Amino acid sequence: MRRGADASRHRALSREAVIGLSLALAYLVFAAIFWAYPFFWLARLSVTQWRFFDEPVFTGGRNLLLTVQDPQFQQAMWNVLRFLAFYLPIAFGGALLVAFGLQHVGRGKTFVALCFLLSNVSSGVAVSLVFTKIFSSTGPLNAWLFGWIGVRVPWTTHPTLAMLAIALVVAWKFVGYYGLILYSGLLTIPREIYDAATLDHARPLTRLFRVTLPMINPQLMMVLVFAILVSFGLFTEPFLITGGGPADSTATPQMMIYETAFRRLQPSHAATMSILVSLASYLLVLAARRLFERKVVIA
Amino acid sequence: MIARRTLLTLGAGGLALLAGCGPRRTEKRTDRIRFWVAPNEAEEGFWKIAVARWNALGRGLPVDFTTIPTAGSSEDTVLSALVAGTEPDLCSNIFSGFAVQLAALGQVENLAAMPGYDALVARRNMGAILAGWTQNGQVSALPIYSSPTLLWWRADLLEKHGFSAPPRTYDEVYAFCDRYGVARQRYGMQVVSGRWWADRWFDFISFYYAASGGRPYLEGARALYDNAAGQQAAGFMDRMFRRGWTAMDFDAEEPLVSGLAAGAVRGPWDVERFARIYPDTLARIEVGPIVARAAGEGVGATFSDSKGLVIFKSSRVARPAFDFLAWVLGEEDLNLLWLQRTGLSPARGDLLQNPRFARYYRSNPIGRAYADHVVNAKPPALSEHTIDIQKIMTTKLVEPLMGGQLSPADALAEAVAQTNRMLAVQA
Repeated sequence: MRRGADASRHRALSREAVIGLSLALAYLVFAAIFWAYPFFWLARLSVTQWRFFDEPVFTGGRNLLLTVQDPQFQQAMWNVLRFLAFYLPIAFGGALLVAFGLQHVGRGKTFVALCFLLSNVSSGVAVSLVFTKIFSSTGPLNAWLFGWIGVRVPWTTHPTLAMLAIALVVAWKFVGYYGLILYSGLLTIPREIYDAATLDHARPLTRLFRVTLPMINPQLMMVLVFAILVSFGLFTEPFLITGGGPADSTATPQMMIYETAFRRLQPSHAATMSILVSLASYLLVLAARRLFERKVVIA
Repeated sequence: MIARRTLLTLGAGGLALLAGCGPRRTEKRTDRIRFWVAPNEAEEGFWKIAVARWNALGRGLPVDFTTIPTAGSSEDTVLSALVAGTEPDLCSNIFSGFAVQLAALGQVENLAAMPGYDALVARRNMGAILAGWTQNGQVSALPIYSSPTLLWWRADLLEKHGFSAPPRTYDEVYAFCDRYGVARQRYGMQVVSGRWWADRWFDFISFYYAASGGRPYLEGARALYDNAAGQQAAGFMDRMFRRGWTAMDFDAEEPLVSGLAAGAVRGPWDVERFARIYPDTLARIEVGPIVARAAGEGVGATFSDSKGLVIFKSSRVARPAFDFLAWVLGEEDLNLLWLQRTGLSPARGDLLQNPRFARYYRSNPIGRAYADHVVNAKPPALSEHTIDIQKIMTTKLVEPLMGGQLSPADALAEAVAQTNRMLAVQA
């Protein structure tokens, strides 16, 4: 009797699994075509020498050696960290302002939220072209600064300021989106916790650092992970605004990969770069989660 | 049962999708010539007429043309098509450096080996121009037009500051800038064209060619521009920045329109743009040569922005395609039509002597100035490492000069040394 029941449950589970599998199949096929196949092709390319039209020839670790010794690639990877140093404070500061601001909006909250999202969905190319003009040494921002305090800021021709300019443009694009993520976190914090904190005479800053920020840790982590991924995937803004200059100070790994594959016609070398970039981004995300992720339990 | 059927259906669909992603090279046709042309209205209009005439004449295989199906750069699209096997037989809009890359990859025909090549060169008077397109006796692309770079000046601003003609020497530019420039508000001339590697064609390389009389800046795997001409060109750029006679960039606006700068390097393609957007400014433009230390006798040298046509190795109709090419490039009527439609000077050495073109240039002084320089306009160095060479030129020479971090001599030495190291590694 017992064996019969087990067999019947097994058949039922199998049927459930088959249905689940068939539902997941579309995604699995998609992932196989657009993720697994390119990844394995990249892995194969990275240990070969191939120039688009010939047969790949196995070269072992040569591409890896060339890539890690390439000063331009090293500079591009360092530039990711430089970008993050500017981007994270701007993005988190801006996103928190958006989130707190939204809490105080009464009517038309959806409209305001939608407005913040507009910058996120606008074309990176169009945005970059507009900001190129704004940041120009002879552009409106500098004309205003010159009229006001008599200085022109070399936004795109000074290595540090150029990276700051890129970070500002990218932050403008993403701050609204990040703000909405943080706002969703703020909505989940029970009012009673703040009441209790107030009874304990907690000041606003104490409430921010002891209650609000710890309670929205999952949302903050999500924004942090997104920000890291954005920094490793950066292409359009530096490509159009600074061209990677001055002195390669805003060149990014994605720009290097594109130019190596399609301008220098060295796809094997570019494949190695792309694998290293994915590994670096994965490790950085992992490190960030280890360091900052906390479990939030609302009893 | 339902699940199994669903699985089978989804599996079949997935396999079909995978099969569709497999390599599938297009079977090359032998009854037509497939031709890609530059994706712009003016050139497309020309090819529409030229191809219709060829097809009506019935002198060879009919031609089917489309614009290069690109949303970005033509090079990326051509490359993708070559990898996918969907490239045409014939393609225009190829710059010489890309043609050399394609030749190094064995993807394009050597046009110098085609029957009828010598007759075409003679008929089109393009022997001198082709010197810059020939590498080891091989011609991978035939230039269809040659667009010299020249300096545009606002004639009204020159006159107002005591100049009756565009400056021809560095000293004349300095003298004008001294009178016209207002610190950090108004500049004599735009010196640096932009921050992209290709912008070097329109600043340092143009100045170098003008200073050296058109001597090459690269030979094989060796950069040559750390010489007297390089010193002069770099010295000029350095002085313009140190004295504040030019700005770091002019991205915010077209400087010639507002007079933010009174002079700038421009190509003939800008004539059509200005005629459309800034007709009033165009009426006040006077074209002068690229400045050098001393004004030489006759027409000075400058850079030529040229595009050419290639025939792909995979073509099964390479000979008929070359016949079409030779017909289009060799027919004076079509060369004139090209000039009228695009405003770009055909790459031929007799533009001002040949009466067929004289009438066009009589009524078009700016076009005439460009035509004057076609013979002395030099294309970029033929190298498959063009991008790296010019990126080094940007980061080690032009940017340090802009910021004043290095002297012209040190910047030149550093740029040349790094270029040579890069070329040695690539070799």
